[in-house]
Amino acid sequence: MRRTVLALSIAMLAAFAGAAHAADKAVVFAAASLTNALQDIAAAYEKKTGVHIVNSFASSSTLARQIENGAPAGIFVSADTQWMDYVDKRGLIDSASRRNVIGNALVLIAPASSPLGPRAIDAHLDWMKLLGGGRLALGDPDHVPAGIYAKQALQHLGAWDSLQSHLAPAEDVRAALVYVDRGEAPLGIVYLTDARQDPGVKIVGVIPEDSHPPIVYPFALVKGASSAARAYFAFLTGKTALAVFARYSFTAK
Amino acid sequence: MSAEISLHHEFSGFVLDAQFRMDGGVTALFGPSGSGKTSTINAIAGLLNPQNGRIVIDGRAVLDTQAGISIPAHARRIGTVFQDARLFPHMSVENNLRFGWRRAENPASEDEFAHIVELLGLEHLLPRKPAKLSGGEKSRVALGRALLSSPGLLLLDEPLAALDAPRKSEILPFLERLRDEARVPMLYVSHSLDEVTRLADSVVVMREGRVAASGPVFDLMSDLEFARASGVESYGAVLDAKVRSHRDDGLSVLSFPGGELIVGRIAKEPGARLRVRIRAEDIMLALEEPKAISANNVIPATIAAIRESGGHADVQLAAGNAKLVARITSASLKRLALAPGMKLFAIVKSVTVDRNTQGE
Amino acid sequence: MMLTPAELEALLLSLRVSVVAIACALPFALAAAVWLSHARFPGKTLVEGAFTLPLVLPPVVMGYLLLLAFGTRGPLGAWLLAHLGLRFAFDWKGAALASAIITFPFQFRAIRLALEAMDSGLAEAAETLGARALDRFANLTLPLALPGIVAGAITAFAASLGEFGAIITFVSNIPGETRTLPLAIFNALQTPGGNVEAARLSALSIILALIGVALAAIAQRRVTRLIGR
Repeated sequence: MRRTVLALSIAMLAAFAGAAHAADKAVVFAAASLTNALQDIAAAYEKKTGVHIVNSFASSSTLARQIENGAPAGIFVSADTQWMDYVDKRGLIDSASRRNVIGNALVLIAPASSPLGPRAIDAHLDWMKLLGGGRLALGDPDHVPAGIYAKQALQHLGAWDSLQSHLAPAEDVRAALVYVDRGEAPLGIVYLTDARQDPGVKIVGVIPEDSHPPIVYPFALVKGASSAARAYFAFLTGKTALAVFARYSFTAK
Repeated sequence: MSAEISLHHEFSGFVLDAQFRMDGGVTALFGPSGSGKTSTINAIAGLLNPQNGRIVIDGRAVLDTQAGISIPAHARRIGTVFQDARLFPHMSVENNLRFGWRRAENPASEDEFAHIVELLGLEHLLPRKPAKLSGGEKSRVALGRALLSSPGLLLLDEPLAALDAPRKSEILPFLERLRDEARVPMLYVSHSLDEVTRLADSVVVMREGRVAASGPVFDLMSDLEFARASGVESYGAVLDAKVRSHRDDGLSVLSFPGGELIVGRIAKEPGARLRVRIRAEDIMLALEEPKAISANNVIPATIAAIRESGGHADVQLAAGNAKLVARITSASLKRLALAPGMKLFAIVKSVTVDRNTQGE
Repeated sequence: MMLTPAELEALLLSLRVSVVAIACALPFALAAAVWLSHARFPGKTLVEGAFTLPLVLPPVVMGYLLLLAFGTRGPLGAWLLAHLGLRFAFDWKGAALASAIITFPFQFRAIRLALEAMDSGLAEAAETLGARALDRFANLTLPLALPGIVAGAITAFAASLGEFGAIITFVSNIPGETRTLPLAIFNALQTPGGNVEAARLSALSIILALIGVALAAIAQRRVTRLIGR
């Protein structure tokens, strides 16, 4: 009996060890707002090299905590510097590989059927009148990067105090987008890249760039990343990938 | 009270086709298991809708498939006592009793309520829940509950079947009291000849879904056809008797339509009515009157009919206004050369009197 | 352990949302169970399956479906808003609706089982004693199904206290309005340095659960004794 258990254990260990060294796969943990762009880039890479790319999309905060708890990611792309700093400080990434590759902008959106037209977003904007009793949908300003940027912008514009109790804090940016798309919320603040992809919403204003810290997406290799991950990292930050990002309205940095 | 029942229903593998009348008192629906008794009860109660049928009670049609009449069960004013009591477990005995009482068109008065409670010996059980009752107690509560719904007809579907012998003899007197005092006509289903002979005024015999025989109990039990139709092994005359007197030597004298009977001491006053049975195998026949014989009862009788089967002969005797049945061997039949019309003597070896009415 | 205002707010909201959810779902679960225990029609199994579906669907999917159906533009949501003034989006009532639907199968199945276990002979006896259908339901079926109803409600209540995915997707995470205990814990976990807060809220949830279990045991015993078993 003991010999059977021993043999089984060795076999299982060998199988897992083998899997860990599978040179044909790279795991990417990335912020949800990069979903479409990264899927296209991964498809292009797979077609070119045959290496299998696994993308895991979630909020940056969730991904950072997963990496902290030993999740097997090779590459981490965060939606803001805060969560990249978080894993950097804990020595979880290859600091030398960290770089800001792309940027984004925040926009004010409304349902496609809304009567609201485009306008300037400045300190004079009457937010309460625009909302008309409804709520402003955005990523949760407590922890979702897009929400954090939005809060900083609104604070800069002097509108945060009055808007604070009229928010619909969503689990992530995509959920905020859905709220506006469904007409549940009359207004929302999401990334330009998200707004461009949803025909159910229209952009009614651009949040001024100087009202919040620059929106950058830091990319980094996780410590102990496989050679496949390293190879893919180079592709991710290269010309072909940048063209894909541009197609989705991400800015180059 | 009078009722006409006519039912036809085809189940898978069984056809119910029964017609009979009821004329007040207790009508026993007698037959072996599977003969259609419960289906008949269910149809009368309204729990079964027969394909064809007509049920008229006191001129009121409760069911008439041809005329499209079918009064729902809750409006038929027919009470049913089920084999398994079916008391409501979440209600006290008192609330069980009052369930039908509260919903009756002409509910009994509080006095009548108390009377029935006393009649069935339920006073001390009123606050209890059914789970804390014995089988016999449950049966009595079920009886009371159905009675208190003021029914025009009471159906009892083998109410004693789930009880053991001591419980049965405990409850039978209650049923006899009900029959004598409650004045509600009853249709009493049973496969027990004992219960039938004690309680019934008339009997309807069912066999394989059909009515095989019917008639007043005193006639039917000594009818030779009944024995064949009901398939019972041990049967005999049921007599309507009255206590005449008590003798000093510990015996009592009963009078019955065919004369007198001497039996062991009966714990009843002279004038009291009771039923006795004389089993067919307890009667011997003699062509001459025996003089020095130990039997106390020798009754002169005339042979009314004879039926032979399988080595035995059942001889129906007319004694005064009563009918008796004797069972003898075919050999004896031949030896004595018995034939209808002959006068002879019936020697009664033993008279079956219900235990409860005997003396100590 | 003194509670901060935010914690108290989350606790009270959790209780209010769950109590309303279970109470509102109960009559529907009862009606559905009674209907299916009597009805016979082709496709009955499918209907039973549909009533059990919320147990099987991922809660986030459920939340999204609720948004589609009960959002202000959804077919049911629009009608309810127009005729009854009921709004679910970004409102505690939406959280209650999500909890009610997700935990509906618990109540439905418990009541269904209790009804199936009931002796049909009792209903026949009641009918012969003059009780019509509604009378039998109120005086016989309902009291005897009570243990099942109570068991189902308690299970549903406990499950509702923990509901997260459907609520956050349908009505977002608004303090005081939709931030129930699970959503508050999630929030604390997502904020750097919020581990202590998350632990406090988790402890609160566990205490709540233990109280719930104790109350459930007492209620079960009482009801069983009431119906004489």
